Amino acid sequence: MSQSELTMSTGHEVVMEASPYHMEKKKLGMWIFIVSDACTFATFLFGYGYMRVGSLNWGTPFEFSSILNGIFMTFILLSSSLTMLAAVRATQTGQKASANKWLGFTMLLGTVFAILHLREWFKMFGEGWGLFSNPTGGAVQFGACFFSVTGLHLTHVVSGVIALAVIMRGYNQGRYDTSHVETAGLYWHFVDLVWMFVFPLTYLMNAAR
Amino acid sequence: MSKEGEAAMSSNQEPSMGSYAGIVIGLMVIVGFEVVLTYQHLSVRRLLFALLCLASLEAFVGVMYLMHVKYENRLLFWTIYPATLFVLVMLNYIWPDAYRMARMSLGK
Repeated sequence: MSQSELTMSTGHEVVMEASPYHMEKKKLGMWIFIVSDACTFATFLFGYGYMRVGSLNWGTPFEFSSILNGIFMTFILLSSSLTMLAAVRATQTGQKASANKWLGFTMLLGTVFAILHLREWFKMFGEGWGLFSNPTGGAVQFGACFFSVTGLHLTHVVSGVIALAVIMRGYNQGRYDTSHVETAGLYWHFVDLVWMFVFPLTYLMNAAR
Repeated sequence: MSKEGEAAMSSNQEPSMGSYAGIVIGLMVIVGFEVVLTYQHLSVRRLLFALLCLASLEAFVGVMYLMHVKYENRLLFWTIYPATLFVLVMLNYIWPDAYRMARMSLGK
């Protein structure tokens, strides 16, 4: 519904006030979602901290190969932020082919991240890790915390890739414009920044030293 | 305000792609520093404190530059930061109970 449709006609001349945030509604909506989603992730990470502090024999199962995989995943995700910025810049300057190229790269990097993440998960499943099992004999809560936190993040990455595909299709068909790509970019950067907390807290804090 | 006007308002003064690349490389360097710190045999508390400080720095830089809060209206900054910080501070109520669980596990 447009702004004018939302405005009640009173017979007087209607003067539209600018948004105090000086941004489009969809972008402000995305910011509100991001704040609430940040709180969701914070709750998961605090819950993980609660379990870790409250459990004896937590253990540090991640060998350097897993940490190396995590570093590579971080590199991939940070690179995808850069390609997303390039896509937004291309849409702002009206370069449709370039925007498609960078959006495609962003989706590709997101997919690679998800594959690497799943590879790590399946390796852990093979070693006997699970939501309620710890093959080292330590705290069983480790699996529940690790798979919940990383699973929530992985869900966000996969959702982001799907959202970018939808936005790219709409942009090519002319249904969506620069602001849609910018708003999707905000979400993508947020998912990237959440990983900056998930990686040190779930991988580095549990590295075998 | 027209869409074009709003878009122009939110996209002016943005850094170049080279600056963005510099910011992303800076974030990668911080991640590398985190990994180095992990293998310095620090106590768990010190390591946690250091990693949280570095992660918060990364998040602040990311929100300000990659998510453009620095270039948006100042009101956005004052809307999102206090609200998020309030929630983060309030979540700390769980720690006394976590330490209670740890003490119970030790049989103290």
